[in-house]
Amino acid sequence: MAPGKESRINHTIAVAQSIVQTDIDALLASGAIWESPQSVSLQNAVAQTPEDLPHGSYFSACLLPTDSGREWLGGLTRLNCETFIECSSEIDFADLAPLISDTTDRKNALTVCLSTRSAYYLPVARKFVTALRHRGLIGEKIAATVEMAVQEAFANSLIHGNLELDTSGHLTMDGFTELGEETRRRLASTKHGARVILLTARRRKNGRIIITINDQGKGFTPPKDTCPTTVSGRKTTFGRGLPLIRSLCHSVNFAREGRTIELEFVQDANDLIPVTDSFSPNLGDQHHQVADADIRNAYNATILIADDTMLSREIIASYLRADGFTNLVFAKDGEDAIEQAVKHDPDLIILDIIMPKLDGYGVCKALRANPDFAKTPIIAQTALEENEGRTRIFDDGATDLILKPLNKAELIARTKIHLENRLLVKQLQAYQERTRSELTLARDMQENLNPTPENYRGTGLDYGLRISATFQMSSELGGDMWGLVPIDEHRLGVYIVDFAGHGLGAALNTFRLHSLIWSDQLQDRDPAEYLEGLNRHLKGLLPVGQYATMLYGIIDRVHNTFRYASAACTSPVLGNSLTGQARYLDGSGVPLGVIRNARYETREVPFTGANFLLLYSDALIETTLDDGQFLSEEKLLSMLRETIMESQREIDLAAQIADQFMDRAPAKLSDDFTIISLQSTPIPCAI
Amino acid sequence: MNYNTESANGTTTVQLNGRFTFGDHSSFRKLIEEIRSHESSSCVLDLSGVEFIDSAGLGMLLLARDEGEKTNMAVIIRGAQGQVKRMLEVARFDTLFTLEN
Repeated sequence: MAPGKESRINHTIAVAQSIVQTDIDALLASGAIWESPQSVSLQNAVAQTPEDLPHGSYFSACLLPTDSGREWLGGLTRLNCETFIECSSEIDFADLAPLISDTTDRKNALTVCLSTRSAYYLPVARKFVTALRHRGLIGEKIAATVEMAVQEAFANSLIHGNLELDTSGHLTMDGFTELGEETRRRLASTKHGARVILLTARRRKNGRIIITINDQGKGFTPPKDTCPTTVSGRKTTFGRGLPLIRSLCHSVNFAREGRTIELEFVQDANDLIPVTDSFSPNLGDQHHQVADADIRNAYNATILIADDTMLSREIIASYLRADGFTNLVFAKDGEDAIEQAVKHDPDLIILDIIMPKLDGYGVCKALRANPDFAKTPIIAQTALEENEGRTRIFDDGATDLILKPLNKAELIARTKIHLENRLLVKQLQAYQERTRSELTLARDMQENLNPTPENYRGTGLDYGLRISATFQMSSELGGDMWGLVPIDEHRLGVYIVDFAGHGLGAALNTFRLHSLIWSDQLQDRDPAEYLEGLNRHLKGLLPVGQYATMLYGIIDRVHNTFRYASAACTSPVLGNSLTGQARYLDGSGVPLGVIRNARYETREVPFTGANFLLLYSDALIETTLDDGQFLSEEKLLSMLRETIMESQREIDLAAQIADQFMDRAPAKLSDDFTIISLQSTPIPCAI
Repeated sequence: MNYNTESANGTTTVQLNGRFTFGDHSSFRKLIEEIRSHESSSCVLDLSGVEFIDSAGLGMLLLARDEGEKTNMAVIIRGAQGQVKRMLEVARFDTLFTLEN
């Protein structure tokens, strides 16, 4: 259904804080999100960055600020939302508006719309492909190919389309410099810079993925006869884009007079992971339970007998009753059969083929078309002996066939077999359903052990700290947890925990430890002493072989120190927020829960107004990335340095590192991933 | 993309890092100026730290090659991996540059 027709639904849209309401109103009025916005009841969720928005909530759209930066681009993978649109008074969507609002199947789609100016310096193609991967729209195997093709098509649409720059032929260094200057001029102008670039992706039922990139330039039609197929050669400096795209895609098409390029990719269905719950438009109301008490044994089963002759119905009923089946319902023709099926939801249907109004074939087809009856066993009974009729009834969906005149023993035997199968399948379904909903509950509970963005942001401000955190649970349950412990007005405690292993056991252990931490008023103690106490308690609770790594530290804003103790935690990183220079601190120590009288050491480092601290779980450095390697110690430091140096303003360090990690890590992590940054804010807090 | 240059014994070695794409115009121009100032007889572009390159990035490598031809400086590409290596192969850069592992 087109979003424009969902008038009864209340929509929530995610909105960047810096966007003014008049721009939002203008964007809505343009019809780019909903064809008829006046019939939509709307609520805004305003946030400084995507990190602030509630996890799991569904947003009908996300409005990006004009200087969106990498933070908001990260929303593509972080938010449960399929439509991301830059909101600015300069933008005119023109004929792109219907392309944005016309997303018929939002669940299998992604739409991103940016101004040329914003898009030019952002890694849009990369983020778009990461988002497709995390949403299960493309598999890991074709991701690299898709990214290369999208990057080329995106660059073409921006440079040749919206900016109308000519880069063909052989370029000299002087020509290149001139081109660079002209690019900057056009990016700054409204005519070129404010033009829109729109990326859409949708997955077809056959698994194929269609990506379109749409611009607002003059249009480009590729030369037909001399279609270049070679990427090599040196005659042209920059002309390799299109041949490269052709070599990477299953098919390439142009539309809107060459202002739209459509890329199609074929992928193996086995390479696709199912779309995860975190990217589902109807989160929350889709858990329909299978009542596991439905049929505990075959004799409680409801059996529908559909036959136009009363005598036949009675004979079948008497056979079944004699064997102990008592929940019998009847239908006297085909239409009645469907009606009774809907009314009683039978566990088995015994169906005559030749009946008035609708014959058995028709009944079979109609029932199978309804998902509620897709698996209900249907035994067709017929006097037809010819093969054609038999084959046909199976084609139309019957489970089994029994010949008239009925043999009592045969009828009972077949009834029992199909009911027992049905019973087993139902029990299994109910079991899976229950396990899944309990796991979901456990996941939610575990996630709730960590502070909410609202909570840690606010606490951070009290201590002159900008705190950012990203937590992504593994595909199973994991054992990560972190938290803040305000001690007094100038000292803030912070802890990060990782229980060994994952699954239910690890998750339960995090609950144990969480209650230990919060039941005991140990926080004001020296970090080493604190870990020693915690270890003694935990050792008594944990079975042999289970242990945790943990770091507990105190940031002191008066003495400008960070004092911490570590129980085999990953080495924390201490860095300079201005230069990006950073180093590892000593994370060594005995894990918690291994030996009763473990000793810990309190270490002290200076932590001033120019410092940041990064804490993380081992998933950051022990996940195989797209280059087949772990993130090395050295790489993490250079990543931090570059992230700080490249950003023009204050950033959420942990979120930025997490986003870069997600670009390169598999969509499904095998261990919990936690990363926290505590950055001194430039204006020192008033103590 | 960001880079570091080192010059010793007539060879300028450039370590490039990150993503090398169409938006890297100005950093590439600065890099060429820096290479020029060293007046070396050979220049090694070490791409081992580059994780992604697009066709515009390839074009800029060609510009570096042209620059080398003008000043009789040999341009060597070293250490390309993964996607970058794949791109260099597709564009047959082995016919235009000396490629080293």
